[in-house]
Amino acid sequence: MTVSFQPLHPVFVAEVSGIDLTRVPDPGTVAAIETAIAHYAVLVFRDQRLDDDTQRTFSRCFGPLEAATGGHVTALQDRRLPLDMQDASNLDRDHTVLDRYDRKRMFNLGNRLWHSDSSYRPTPALYSLLSGRIVVEQGGHTEFADMRAAYDALDNTTKVEIADLVCEHSLLFSRGLLGFTELSDNEKFLFAPVRQPLVRRHPATGRQSLFLSAHAGSIVGWPVPEARAFLRDLTEHATQKHFTYSHKWRQHDLVMWDNRTTIHRVTRFNETLVRDMRRTTVAGP
Amino acid sequence: MAFNIRPVRPVFVGEVTGIDICQPLSRDQVAAIEAGMDQYAVLTFPDQPLTDDQQVVFSANFGELEIPLAAQMAKPEARRFDKLELGDISNFDGKSENLRARDDSRRMYALANRLWHSDASFRAIGAGYTLLHSRIVPSNGGNTGFADMRAAYDALDDATKVEVENLVTEHSIVFSREQIGFEVKSDDASNVRPVKHPLVVMHPVTGRKSLYLSSHIGGIVGWPVPEARAFIRDLTEHATQPQFVYSHKWRVNELVMWDNRMVMHRATRFNDLKEQRDLRRTSIKGVGLAVADAPAMAAE
Repeated sequence: MTVSFQPLHPVFVAEVSGIDLTRVPDPGTVAAIETAIAHYAVLVFRDQRLDDDTQRTFSRCFGPLEAATGGHVTALQDRRLPLDMQDASNLDRDHTVLDRYDRKRMFNLGNRLWHSDSSYRPTPALYSLLSGRIVVEQGGHTEFADMRAAYDALDNTTKVEIADLVCEHSLLFSRGLLGFTELSDNEKFLFAPVRQPLVRRHPATGRQSLFLSAHAGSIVGWPVPEARAFLRDLTEHATQKHFTYSHKWRQHDLVMWDNRTTIHRVTRFNETLVRDMRRTTVAGP
Repeated sequence: MAFNIRPVRPVFVGEVTGIDICQPLSRDQVAAIEAGMDQYAVLTFPDQPLTDDQQVVFSANFGELEIPLAAQMAKPEARRFDKLELGDISNFDGKSENLRARDDSRRMYALANRLWHSDASFRAIGAGYTLLHSRIVPSNGGNTGFADMRAAYDALDDATKVEVENLVTEHSIVFSREQIGFEVKSDDASNVRPVKHPLVVMHPVTGRKSLYLSSHIGGIVGWPVPEARAFIRDLTEHATQPQFVYSHKWRVNELVMWDNRMVMHRATRFNDLKEQRDLRRTSIKGVGLAVADAPAMAAE
């Protein structure tokens, strides 16, 4: 069986078939996936019965994994999953649904905003791999937007204007947008802003893309309100319908995306239902 | 030429000709404009070289004029116009007519107008009509976008209509400014204290329901704040899809009036550090903002 890629959208996203991710892929297959994701930016693998070990093993084929340190408000002893598995569920460590007012839930609601994973880290995420262990029937989609197509569609004046702009990214900004502002001194320390260019170039394809994220809260040298209004405008441009794909989850889906060329968000769902999603993250650059 | 309203969209935004609004209006003319507003929610009047006084006189046909919050909070010497009812929607540095500096706090405050909002929804009774008249317009950008909250409401799925029906939102000028990282300081706490409004309102004349959304919303009564804000963002995104939006490119000496109970609006970016844009705003205190089954709520 050979691995093949079927496009799911006019500008990006492909479904991958002919591969069993519970077996360690050979170097040729890894290379084929890397080539494909450079082009498609988002890859969908259906019917992959992964557990944490097989998800980790497959993910590590693409580089070292990011540890979840500093990217959340969950104390170590309260974690449901090991540090190299990001918990994108709505569950507590005893596998019960988080209370409506639970601080972890309030924090996780920030994932409803368009973002690029770990853009608040000095080294942002390269690939994210999200495994749907228990999915919900309605809502809870993951939506992706193609930042290369969005960049290409900017007018020339805007391309010139943004070419050398540098943004400051922090979890303080994305959570602040939703009114989540009660943070400990240690959390504020961990969430100190980092700088990222607004435009980046993909090393494999040479294509330029917009590096947007809800974590971006200012532009170096700009008054904050002007920067925020402008970043909102850019995000609105970049997330127009024709640049986006909405992934409706089936159980045992694995979706892998390149954070350098896409932003994503989760859509609303009935949070009294269990949704168990687990993410491994390949660290950049 | 006879009074005429040309629909710009089927039942949203009309262009009015065949009337001179610089002159005092007859009762029939006022009634015709009000009927047009009920139907189209936004009316544009091209080629109307109004003076400030004429704008105030025209506006007063439709109710009691509001004093803008920015004028209330500004020191008298910082205001551009002596007439308190006249809102300064320009990028001028007060009376000097030099352009505002990049970090001017009035500029920071006004940048929040780039977010979709309904005028004065942070007041116990939000604005009814807003009337905006153009004196100087930039060569590019600086448009005013309008979104039809009746059509947006109609397009919600049934489950969402049920969910939003009795929700009550909290509005404050602080919330809209916070979103772009600007802290509103006011000596008078009553200017910034959140007020409550129903999320779904019904037009007193047409009976049509609409979403009463605004960037001034910071919470939903009984909901955790982050959940409320995420939901309001989703609703706002739904309500401002291209099919519900009209973007008005200004010409000089146009008057545009809209009903804040049926539309949201926002300004788009322009080169405000280099080009002049001078618009003058009057607004009418809202009356008759009806909820389907509950009385209108005042601030606590």
